Amino acid sequence: MEEMVLQAKNISKSFGITRAVRNVSLDFKKGEIRGLIGENGSGKSTFVSMLAGILPIDKGSFILEDEELKIKNQVEANRKGISIIVQEMGTLPGITVADNIFLGSENQFIKFGIKKTSSMNRAAAKLLEQYGFGHISASTMIDHYNFEDRKLIEIVKATHFNPKILIIDETTTALSQYGREELYKHMERFKNNGRTVIFISHDLTEVLEHTDYISVLRDGELIDTVESNNVNEDDLKRLMVGRELKSRYYRTDFGGNISGEVVMSVENLTVPEEIDEINFELHKGEILGFGGLSECGMHEVGKAIFGASFDRSGTVKLENGKTVNSVPDAIKNSIAYASKDRDNESLVCNSSIRDNICLPSIGDLSQNGILSSKKMNEHALKHAQLVSVKMTGIDQFVSDLSGGNKQKVVLARWLGKDSDILVLDSPTRGIDVKVKADIYEMMSDLKRKGKSIIMISEEIQELIGMCDRVIIMKSGKISGEFLRDEQLGEEDLIKKMV
Amino acid sequence: MSEQKTFENSRKFLGKVINAPDKQALRTMMPLVGLIAIIVIFAFLTDMKIVQTKSINLILSQVYVLMIACSGVFMVMTVGGLDFSQGSLLGLSSIVISYLSFHSMPLAIVAGIVTGALIGAFNGLIHVAFKIPSFIVTICSMFLFRGICAYLTTDAPVAAKTTITVFNETWINLSLTFAVLLIVFLVFRFTKLGISLKAIGAGETAARFSGIRTKRIKFLVFAAAGAITGFAAFLNVAKVGSITATSGSQLETQILIALVLGGLPIMGGAKVHYSSVIVGTLMFCILQNGLVMVGLDSAEQQLVKGIIFVLVVALTIDRRSLRVIK
Repeated sequence: MEEMVLQAKNISKSFGITRAVRNVSLDFKKGEIRGLIGENGSGKSTFVSMLAGILPIDKGSFILEDEELKIKNQVEANRKGISIIVQEMGTLPGITVADNIFLGSENQFIKFGIKKTSSMNRAAAKLLEQYGFGHISASTMIDHYNFEDRKLIEIVKATHFNPKILIIDETTTALSQYGREELYKHMERFKNNGRTVIFISHDLTEVLEHTDYISVLRDGELIDTVESNNVNEDDLKRLMVGRELKSRYYRTDFGGNISGEVVMSVENLTVPEEIDEINFELHKGEILGFGGLSECGMHEVGKAIFGASFDRSGTVKLENGKTVNSVPDAIKNSIAYASKDRDNESLVCNSSIRDNICLPSIGDLSQNGILSSKKMNEHALKHAQLVSVKMTGIDQFVSDLSGGNKQKVVLARWLGKDSDILVLDSPTRGIDVKVKADIYEMMSDLKRKGKSIIMISEEIQELIGMCDRVIIMKSGKISGEFLRDEQLGEEDLIKKMV
Repeated sequence: MSEQKTFENSRKFLGKVINAPDKQALRTMMPLVGLIAIIVIFAFLTDMKIVQTKSINLILSQVYVLMIACSGVFMVMTVGGLDFSQGSLLGLSSIVISYLSFHSMPLAIVAGIVTGALIGAFNGLIHVAFKIPSFIVTICSMFLFRGICAYLTTDAPVAAKTTITVFNETWINLSLTFAVLLIVFLVFRFTKLGISLKAIGAGETAARFSGIRTKRIKFLVFAAAGAITGFAAFLNVAKVGSITATSGSQLETQILIALVLGGLPIMGGAKVHYSSVIVGTLMFCILQNGLVMVGLDSAEQQLVKGIIFVLVVALTIDRRSLRVIK
């Protein structure tokens, strides 16, 4: 039997009511490259974050070479020989390349409390040379380098001390072909040194090509571990997507027509570095879905329509010929927006349910500039009850509510405004099954009333289940469009996303 | 029968106060309890001297300007901002009023308000347009306008027309203070502005996403706070008669301490209560005079005030919603 380097035993992690990782047990061999795949929110990143000391473990344990891993942070993880290259920017701006590479391990250059910058720079330069990144200068501020070079620096930072386990979390999406090749090369070198690599990627082709084994996660559970040579992309997709659609949540009607009446047309919508020349039309009574990977720009589309994007160009034109350029414009013209960032953008958390529900409607609730408390109370209570918010009263602060109830308050405020176009970004994110069903029901109800909905979601199933039409985005552009169809499968959508 | 009922009711009320099922309510009561405690303590320490007419008149004479200025800064702090330029703003407005008092009294009053509003607008504009935290902007403008005050009073203090002191009557001061307080209260309580201010203080992004024109409102609030203190400057001139380079200095810290003593959350937001303006100002002024009467010298007074301020902030600050002051 080959030598085990790391065992994960019954690892679990919850965020509030969302169980992100459930009872995952995995073994990792010395000298293997293990792919870790799954849909968005399947728990891959959460799992490796626990391994790398970024998140605390709820239940279970990691055994590294027969010894239980007890780490509180990333630096301790590094000392134990576990290193991670993260999805986001993992380098610190404002300090030099060398400082970044030796972040957390500066002690080796400190003599009598004084850091010897020159020897640190020399060591960093030597490493960069060894890795073949000679074009990067160790003593330069990291801010001089672009995203890709910084990722290369991160590779050096994460691997120069030769860790036992290297985790690469969704890094390749940020890299060009050159950067990718470099990364693969070092993964291979690592493996040949008897080290273990855990490789997370949405790009199934590269996963198949560069890994020995692949573990598939779905809804936080481990589905299977397969040998890369014995499977193809379709097998992997089947494993990732797996279950049948739970039809009882979603709309059951198919084959209905979309109204010809266009309520909003979006032309050349562009936000620098986010979205690029987006064009589409929204019809009356339509539920239009936006899907894609989380960084594809779809979330920005929602913000841009609502007039909340910074530096937006292009036009959002309504049926009545008016254009939307600011949030007050949007609200005046009956557009509602529920942000993905519920706690910061959708709700004033440190404020009462009443104020939150009334805020967008304060114009309607006042006469000659005088705000009526009675009207406010009635308005808030009516709409909070309409969506059945669980609360002690409308004076309760929103910060005390659960995620699902918060989202209900968000919907209540826009129902109260009687908005005709609702832009819902990740409306069911982090929400339990029951409230999810309520929200879907509400959406169907709004559709029946002739309201139009744009639903932006990272959950492919709900897009297929709820939408009349789904637009898929990739790297800030529209990459595909699907009409509502019983035959529509997740694979079809995923193909356009990656 | 009805006695029984009254008894039941009062028991319920007591139960409410004692058991304090509602922490929020208790928190709101705290400053009032503090005010009463301070009065009792100083009454005791000064052999009841502080509650005699003479002392009360003296304390009241210090209340007006501070309380009026507090009502404006109350709005600034509700949106989560701070205004450190209030003292030099008062000084400059006072100088303008003094100059113009020789021409026309109504003109002087209006000019004082306009001067204050302009300085406030300057603060608001820089804060909003350049996205600089308000406490930095207003600290800068504190020095800037204090410098102008010093320049204008280089040769001699700027004296107002001597007849201006006829306005320094208790009933005038009281009614003007009451009027300003009432107007600000009505606007805060019964218009869109109040709920918008609270929303901005509690969560600016969410407020913006709710359709509130956050920039415009923040700008207006600074201008309004300036205008209100500009009006207070008239009372100030009527009281002191001539303006020196240091007129109004430290008003900003007095305002800040008074409002925080009055229970205003230093981050602003939805938990603000207008009563902070009144309760806080009274507490501050009684504390200030009480310490003098007890016989502390000014260094000792500063020390005690500093300790009380830190204690109150530490006790009342809402750590859950802690973030950088705008």
